[in-house]
Amino acid sequence: MKYLFLAAALMCCAGCTVKAVGDPNRPITINAHVTIDIKGLEKTASGIEEYVSSGK
Amino acid sequence: MKKLFMVLVLICTAAATAPAQSAYDIKVMTPAVKSALDGRKSRFAELKTLKTRGVVGETNRGYVQALGGGADVQALVAAENKDRKLVYEAIVEQNKLGAAALATVETVFARVQRDKAEPGEKVQEPSGNWN
Repeated sequence: MKYLFLAAALMCCAGCTVKAVGDPNRPITINAHVTIDIKGLEKTASGIEEYVSSGK
Repeated sequence: MKKLFMVLVLICTAAATAPAQSAYDIKVMTPAVKSALDGRKSRFAELKTLKTRGVVGETNRGYVQALGGGADVQALVAAENKDRKLVYEAIVEQNKLGAAALATVETVFARVQRDKAEPGEKVQEPSGNWN
């Protein structure tokens, strides 16, 4: 039974954390729980700028 | 019981290390976001000409800045920056990044603009210097 409590505690901790991927050398932590995936954001930005530059 | 414990530990480990999100996007094309993107598209050619002439530059915060020209250039820059900010804020809100992430989004867009800039166009480096 004590293992169940331990497992439940671990699951709670895991559920509170958002992990970043893509560029492990350049993570930017906004607060204790949210880390932005800079590579993903760059892809998004590139896509939007491509769309804008594609003209009318 | 030990087997159950091991399974739970594995699930926890997988949940903690799994990527929460690999990319961000405009998830909902609201009328405001569509208007902002359409506005940016419509002024892209004019803005590009002004950039080529060095009248407008890309700042290190993801916005454009008038480096010359008159009121018409100022108006164009203001309209462009208003639309850019709306798009940046939409990315932050729709991807639940938190208000503090706006500066990061702006910085990333600035980097993309720097990478896309052609020779002769004015871009502001992260240090603040203009090239």
